[in-house]
Amino acid sequence: MSWSALLGLAIVLGLAPLLPGVAAKTRARLTGRRGAPLLQLYRDLARLWRKGVVYSRTTTFAFRVAPVVLVVTAVLAACLVPLDGRRALVGFSGDFVAFAALLALGRFALVLAAWDTGSSFEGMGASREVTVAAFAEPALFLTFVALVLASGSLSLGGALGAPLAAAWPSAAPALALVTASLFLVLLAEGSRVPVDDPATHLELTMIHEVMVLDHSGLDLALILYGGALKLSLFGALLVGAVAPRAEIPPAIAVGVLVAGLLVVAMAVGVVESVMARLRLSRVPQFLTAASALAALAVILLLVR
Amino acid sequence: MARLVELLLLLVILTNFIVLGTTRLSTCIRAVALQGFLLGVLPLALYPRGELHTWGLALGTVAVKAVILPRFLRWAIREAAVRREVEPRVGYALSLLLGVAAVAVAFAISGRLPLPEGARAMLVPAALATVILGLFVLITRSKALVQVVGYLMLENGVYLFGLTHVEEVPFLVEAGVLLDVFVGVFIMGIVVFHINREFDSLDSTRLSELVDR
Amino acid sequence: MTLFLGGIAAVALGGLALVALSFRPRWAAAAFQLLVGGGCMAAVLPALRVLSGGTAGELRIRATVPGGDWVFGIDPLSAFFLLVVLGVGAAAALYGVSYLSSESGAGPVRTAHAVTALEIVALALVVTARSAIPFLITWEIMAVLAYFLVVFESRLPDVRRAGLIYLICTHTGTLALVALFASWGQLAGDLSFDALAAAAPALPAGAALVFALGLCGFGFKAGLVPLHFWLPGAHGVAPSHVSALMSGVVIKMGIYGLLRLVNLAGAPPAWWGWLVLVLGLGSGVLGVLWALAQHDLKRLLAYHSVENIGIILLGLGVGALGARSGAPTVAVLGFAGAVLHTLNHALFKSLLFLGAGAVLRATGTRLIDRLGGLGRRMPYTWGAFLVGSIAIVGLPPLNGFVSEWLVYQGLLRSGAMAPARAAVFGVAGLALIGALALACFAKVGGAVFLGQPRSAQAREGREVGVGLLAPMAALAFGCAVIGMAPAVAVSPALRVAATLGGVGRGAAGEAAAAIGPALTWIALTAAALLALVAAGWWLRTRVLSRRPQAWTETWACGYARPDPRMQYTAASFAAPLMAAYGRAAGVHVTREGGAFHTHATDPVLDGVALPLWQRVLAWGQAVRPIQQGRLWMYLLYVLGALLGLLLYLALRAGGTGP
Repeated sequence: MSWSALLGLAIVLGLAPLLPGVAAKTRARLTGRRGAPLLQLYRDLARLWRKGVVYSRTTTFAFRVAPVVLVVTAVLAACLVPLDGRRALVGFSGDFVAFAALLALGRFALVLAAWDTGSSFEGMGASREVTVAAFAEPALFLTFVALVLASGSLSLGGALGAPLAAAWPSAAPALALVTASLFLVLLAEGSRVPVDDPATHLELTMIHEVMVLDHSGLDLALILYGGALKLSLFGALLVGAVAPRAEIPPAIAVGVLVAGLLVVAMAVGVVESVMARLRLSRVPQFLTAASALAALAVILLLVR
Repeated sequence: MARLVELLLLLVILTNFIVLGTTRLSTCIRAVALQGFLLGVLPLALYPRGELHTWGLALGTVAVKAVILPRFLRWAIREAAVRREVEPRVGYALSLLLGVAAVAVAFAISGRLPLPEGARAMLVPAALATVILGLFVLITRSKALVQVVGYLMLENGVYLFGLTHVEEVPFLVEAGVLLDVFVGVFIMGIVVFHINREFDSLDSTRLSELVDR
Repeated sequence: MTLFLGGIAAVALGGLALVALSFRPRWAAAAFQLLVGGGCMAAVLPALRVLSGGTAGELRIRATVPGGDWVFGIDPLSAFFLLVVLGVGAAAALYGVSYLSSESGAGPVRTAHAVTALEIVALALVVTARSAIPFLITWEIMAVLAYFLVVFESRLPDVRRAGLIYLICTHTGTLALVALFASWGQLAGDLSFDALAAAAPALPAGAALVFALGLCGFGFKAGLVPLHFWLPGAHGVAPSHVSALMSGVVIKMGIYGLLRLVNLAGAPPAWWGWLVLVLGLGSGVLGVLWALAQHDLKRLLAYHSVENIGIILLGLGVGALGARSGAPTVAVLGFAGAVLHTLNHALFKSLLFLGAGAVLRATGTRLIDRLGGLGRRMPYTWGAFLVGSIAIVGLPPLNGFVSEWLVYQGLLRSGAMAPARAAVFGVAGLALIGALALACFAKVGGAVFLGQPRSAQAREGREVGVGLLAPMAALAFGCAVIGMAPAVAVSPALRVAATLGGVGRGAAGEAAAAIGPALTWIALTAAALLALVAAGWWLRTRVLSRRPQAWTETWACGYARPDPRMQYTAASFAAPLMAAYGRAAGVHVTREGGAFHTHATDPVLDGVALPLWQRVLAWGQAVRPIQQGRLWMYLLYVLGALLGLLLYLALRAGGTGP
């Protein structure tokens, strides 16, 4: 329980809503528009906090508790990531299984909330969300396996910390593949182009957005925040895999993390402006490519 | 230098995956052109002493595999006015997974063979993987032009095998192999033209209609 | 040991009392519940004692048949499985009393309860048998009694067919087991397990035949792909408490058998470890994929049993590979994961089946696409089903997460183990299984309990009585305990795992040291999760009490007259995944006029087993002409056989003559 880990956690929790803003701004600039302000999501959250809520008569307790579960699981998952480059707030052997399982619990709650409304749109979004997750999870776990093999440590704190820094020189090609695969998984789990388009307003083409159509007020604020936090967690994983910061002082390491997260958000914006959203039937192929990259990295590490 | 060779071979394997996973013909051809370029640069990375015949080999390979053949294939696309691949016999996602399995098998088999040491150690697995994947593309794709791409991948794999002994093999043999590839693709181009004229499509499964009944 | 025997005798007595006291139904039911519940609790105490390090005595019965004495005893492996048998058995039996009490004239209800009690006794004897002959006898009794339980509603042709397929498969498995013990027993003095274990090093080819036959025989019982095709039919048509008993306990007997083999014969050969790993992966992925395609609630749960058997086999396979490759930590963790998942699956699968039974009782239909909105009318059943769903998907804070985490530990550590490093790819498979299971239970929970009712039957559903809810609550409590305090269940599992594969006592200590702190952290995370969710809920309620709240229709893109039929159906929910997997998903689509139907088929049953059966029948038909019904032809056969034998003897004697 080190102060730098707490600092990292606080900063990530506070900075999470900035990332979607940065991505949207990059996308807008690259397509010739001015775009919404960087802090737009903060303003949205404040506005939603002040508003009341409207509930559908069909919904039950599951609908109302889902946003809370989403945010709580995302925060607990954030405690497992070594945000200062050395140690996470909570670390134990096999904790990345807990990381993935906590995020899956949040997704499960959200999908049940979508069923609760009894609407065909939410059902469609929920169905697509679990399909994307079914292909993204193996890719994510394969990147974890590669990180475990490279660093020799079974905990996220070690797999993204000092042991990984020691392994970078000899395992560089494999780790480059891991980075690429993690970026593709980030695009999928963060509901970004080319898997899902956060800027479209057609329910028939959305995945995550359409699943949460009926939430309003504080519930919607929690869901938006949870989504932004998930994006920053995957970004933190990516930054940890690319730039192991075990040798530099903790405060600077946290600063590097923030810079890295902004770079990741900008990269997401670039991808969003360059590519179009894939047809839904092509998304499994996209994520299988991510799995293939990670599997290749594992093969390279196994024969080293 | 060993690091550079490893990186180049990794990129070669990745270009194989691009061919496996893409639906567009032009991307296939660009990938195999990139593969040809990488193969041209490899002898220079393996033997940096820069003798004349290494340079000649490199330049010849780049010229043929990365420039002439892809240009020829793009001309063939324009002639036959094709755009996308029809759904292959084995779906794209499954092809990617089988590709990974093929690479794993190649690495596993190479572990049991007597490998050259040092920088050339990864050549044999990469070569084996490229050969297997080239054959895979030849077998599972039905558009004739993609099959030509698969043939090119196969030849690239054989070339990689040859690179393990580039100093010992005389220049003439390598040039002969290159000429073979060149002529082979030319003949394939002519055949493709005739297939297109006969059937008005480049689907090689239609060739089975030529059987005498 | 005497306590154990007394306990199961009480259970048997309870069953008989129900039949004997049929003139006073209330007394009979009370006697049954008391004796069965009390007997199971009494019999579980020696098992708990053995698991915490004690020993239990042995029972030897002098037998007149060859094969040595009949020995019964409780070792750690038996004790762990006794927990499964008695715990789930008691819950299912007590549930069954209330479940079938509203059945009238559908079948002999009292006999069914008595047979349930006897089945529990048979199961308890199977896991405590320590000699081959009593093992096989109690195995066969268990299988046949299970058949009678499955065909409770035997007036329906579907039920009879499912029962017949089950009977054929279980007997094929038993045949393999008889061959197994016969071939092994030849090398040993007598057929007791101790003698067989002593003779194990002398088995040829590293005990290859024994392990292969064991995989066939126990595999049929466990339901691993491709030997699973009897499972969905039998578990789907049986009464719900019988499905719970079968999915929770009876298929675990296959796992018990495999574990007992590893316990007696030592480290299995490497090919067997790989085969089990691959079969486990296949069963897991295919099981959950086929579950996603099902329309029938109980068949869906049955396919999930196939999936979880796959997860157990993953742990077993990696444990076997670890034992063979000299990596004791991997071996212990893999085996412990398999053993713990057995217990966990028994708990949450029976919970789910009992919940499905409650739904069936309340609405009268098993078809998911006719249900909906039951969460409002049956909140306790929904709560229990939700606990079971979260547990089976392997999410914190429940027990499924703990056992899957253990299996992940075994798989990840295998990356360092030289000959079998490729086992790490099992991690991707397990992740895929988990994600597909999440999709499937989101589908089931959402389609059955949430939204609006899709038919009149669903609208009529009312909460079921305490008799059905109490066993569910007990099982849910068990799931929660193991999830929130994992060390309670993991240390016995480690102790059991250390007796397998010849890894040695010290290995359990090493493994425990490696994962001990992690278990504490998992418990803390589970507690933190619940606490934070409760705190978040309280905060949210406080904040929202000062904001305007309104109630209206669902948004549905502004459509003003939404109809319950417009909701997403379970089949549509699963459609993208089914489309992504293509032919492997086994879904047949028929379109006619304005209608669209999807049928879920079992590719192994329809593609392999039934055509094979037709082939066998065709060969039988081809051989038929031998049996003409004419007496003189049969006498001719006898004469021909006699002459042939004499000729053979003459030629042989002539060959060796002077």
